[in-house]
Amino acid sequence: MRKPFQAWNIILIATLAILFFAVLYPLLYIFKASFISTDTGAFSLKSYATFFKYPYYLRCLGNSIFVSGLSTLLALALGIPFAFFLARYRIPGKNIIRTLGTLPLILPTFIGAEAWLLLLGRNGLFAKGLQGLGIEMPSIYGWKGIVLVFTLQFFPFVFLMVSSALNAIDRSLEEAATSLGSGKLRVFFTVTLPVVTPAILSGALVVFFLCIENFGVPVLIGEDFRVLSVQAYNEFISELGGNPAMAGALSMILLAITLGLTVFQKHWVERKNYTMTSLNPIEVKRLRPLPTFLIWLFCAGVVFVALFPFAVVMISSITKTHGPVMYFGQFSLENFIRAFTIAPRPIVNSFFLATTSTLIGIVFGIVVSYLLVRKKGAVSYLLDLLVMLPLAIAGTVQGIALAATYNKGIIVLTGTWMILVLAYFIRKAPYSIKTTSSLLQQIDPSIEEASISLGVPPVRSFIRVVLPIMLPGIIAGAIIMWVTTLAELSTTIVLYYGPWATMTVEIFQRIGSGDFGPASAYATILILSVLIPLFILNRVSGRDLASSL
Amino acid sequence: MRVELINIVKSFGALRAVDGISLTVGEGEFFTLLGPSGCGKTTLLRTLAGFYQPDEGTIRFGERVVNDIPAHRREIGMVFQNYALFPHLCVFDNIAYGLRARKIPKTEIADRIGRIIKSVQLEGLENRPPSKLSGGQQQRVALARALVISPQILLMDEPLSNLDAKLRLSMREEIRRIQKDLGITTIYVTHDQEEAMAVSDRIAILNRGRLEQVGAPREIYYRPESLFAAEFMGSSNIIEMDVKGYDQARSMVLAEAAGQSFSFSGPKPPGARVLLSVRPEWIRVVAGPADGEKNVFSGTVLSSAFLGSMVRYRVSGPGGKPMVIEVHDAEQENIRKDGETLWYKLPADRPLMIRD
Repeated sequence: MRKPFQAWNIILIATLAILFFAVLYPLLYIFKASFISTDTGAFSLKSYATFFKYPYYLRCLGNSIFVSGLSTLLALALGIPFAFFLARYRIPGKNIIRTLGTLPLILPTFIGAEAWLLLLGRNGLFAKGLQGLGIEMPSIYGWKGIVLVFTLQFFPFVFLMVSSALNAIDRSLEEAATSLGSGKLRVFFTVTLPVVTPAILSGALVVFFLCIENFGVPVLIGEDFRVLSVQAYNEFISELGGNPAMAGALSMILLAITLGLTVFQKHWVERKNYTMTSLNPIEVKRLRPLPTFLIWLFCAGVVFVALFPFAVVMISSITKTHGPVMYFGQFSLENFIRAFTIAPRPIVNSFFLATTSTLIGIVFGIVVSYLLVRKKGAVSYLLDLLVMLPLAIAGTVQGIALAATYNKGIIVLTGTWMILVLAYFIRKAPYSIKTTSSLLQQIDPSIEEASISLGVPPVRSFIRVVLPIMLPGIIAGAIIMWVTTLAELSTTIVLYYGPWATMTVEIFQRIGSGDFGPASAYATILILSVLIPLFILNRVSGRDLASSL
Repeated sequence: MRVELINIVKSFGALRAVDGISLTVGEGEFFTLLGPSGCGKTTLLRTLAGFYQPDEGTIRFGERVVNDIPAHRREIGMVFQNYALFPHLCVFDNIAYGLRARKIPKTEIADRIGRIIKSVQLEGLENRPPSKLSGGQQQRVALARALVISPQILLMDEPLSNLDAKLRLSMREEIRRIQKDLGITTIYVTHDQEEAMAVSDRIAILNRGRLEQVGAPREIYYRPESLFAAEFMGSSNIIEMDVKGYDQARSMVLAEAAGQSFSFSGPKPPGARVLLSVRPEWIRVVAGPADGEKNVFSGTVLSSAFLGSMVRYRVSGPGGKPMVIEVHDAEQENIRKDGETLWYKLPADRPLMIRD
């Protein structure tokens, strides 16, 4: 038994080394950089002083917190009733509403932003139409647009968490409250709501986190309304003449917020969750026609408003365009033809990078899961911490850290495609590790031991017995990694260089230059590439589309 | 094959799970490690299987020391508590797994599996996945998979604990039958004393990583050496008495508790007090303190339960501790009510003294 154990030790050390150099070291590097004066190269607190002295920077922080907070509140306002209605009442088309209701969180947020620009932007479809009728729409640019897109894309997190908490409530719980003399409303406020409160809080934290780390939406739709993630990116990109210390300081402030939220979530909110085993779920009630219709209208309406913009993007892709001007109603495949013939490179890049990093991520994920679950020891806590750390880092910050660290020195990765692959698999592997390690936890170690006792050596036993059982989970994790990598913008935008622009970068730049037709074509390819594998996964394994996110 | 353990120690941190155990299991013997949870029985079994490396001591299979032989080369068959069937393989492939690892030709595999499937009565289920089997069938597959590789030693870790009571009875008889047919040395772990008595040639009682007693079931039942063995093997009344005298000629001990005296056969007790273990079914209920009849005690009935084949009384005993008395052939018994006085006679000719 000693030899294979040694083999696993070597693998453990190698894994820790990879994580150190890909995750921790770059963060420490920009942490240090944020204290180094750009002019003199000496230790200096100037960047932080600047941040707190100039209202401009403080306003970025304020803006970030403002849009994130407001979006979170609105996401709760949509998500909680949505979850409650679907869990408790009979509504026509409930299954399809539920499935469609989770879609927004899979679709890339910056495409959502593009869609709303298509509708309500300066040359937008609705904006122009309504103007023709003499109605002046409030501007989509600035915080209003950001909040709109955030709310519509992130409310499903609240919905999912609250509905799983609602479904975990056993019928007897509310019946007990009723039998103790509480009326319907009292039962809701004294039993049901308190029991799902931890889930609501978790959902709120997740939404707030996603808002504050988001880059694509505020950069596309925010215009002069600057938030932290965008400002850090701007400081970094102008690095050529510019200010790595300031980019570092902004990254550190953003990192402090995201890490703080994650620690708060892990050590406070998650512990408050009640564990219940629901034997008899609460009965789904049938209401009278009018209330049923109103509830249906709310749920279907929310789903429609959240998804309609994506349909607009897909329609735009087959619409005749001329720069920012769309000729809706006149169909043309020109955008796709151009994408595939003149500029197919971003498509190839995206698929190549996503596939490569997913393949590496699968192996990495299996190894880490095995180490976490089966080789529990003093270092597994450290391993768990390091491997999950990227989930607490904003994409922009991770990009800046990696680009700054491997820009010069012994290992130069900045400006190669390899740094993209590194960033992708480090950032997306946690998703696959979550699924594979929870699967591995369910596989009793005695299955491996049975194989060993029948004469198959340990590592081969793992491959012959454990791996096949884990395969469905591994595939599901791989699909999640692949689609989220395809849709990745915030890290990519910092790390890519010329020939390695991905579809997301291409969409981002085309929108920036008002080139909506081709942007929509790439966006459509992206949407389909994300939805089709998830749809197949859902069909084959019966997994919920979003359950792994 | 003979299995020999010499002074085995296995610790987990500060806990000495197995604390110096020496044992010899004979060729073809059905040997059971019996004890409560946490007594070290499973740890000892897994050390034998090679999943744990002992900190001290020597393990011998036959003449060969196997300490440094990894688990996959020990040539043992093992049946796990949860069966550990490979969920992605059908019954046939589960059983064939060990044979294929040994590169045995296809025709021979089919032949051997055919025979073992017959012997564990799984005919017709070859292509079923484990999830489509009942608990008892899964148990048979696990057994067949362990046996088909013709191991020299069979290890079983609480194999019946996941089955319902009725199935447990029939499966244990079947396991015993197959074991006898094959004559395979078997080491069996359980916490169920009745199961242990039903299947074993010999039993080792373990407590806190140490051996309490090793012997044939009857030996341990009738002659428990320690308080732990007496209490763990079946239920037993433990009575503490003062020694009043010893009749050398008749080998009789005279003892007394709470003013009631009792004389019984046995060796001379070493101290002034003795600990007696009296099985509930050895105590006879009598009508009253008849003249001249010795060893009759009285107590108040605390509770009684009619259990079909017997009546079980809890009666206040000498020294305050309740006594359990079982009366078989209950139809004849006029069941005493709670609070009534019950007269009973302790057996004088049984080996009763145990060590503390």
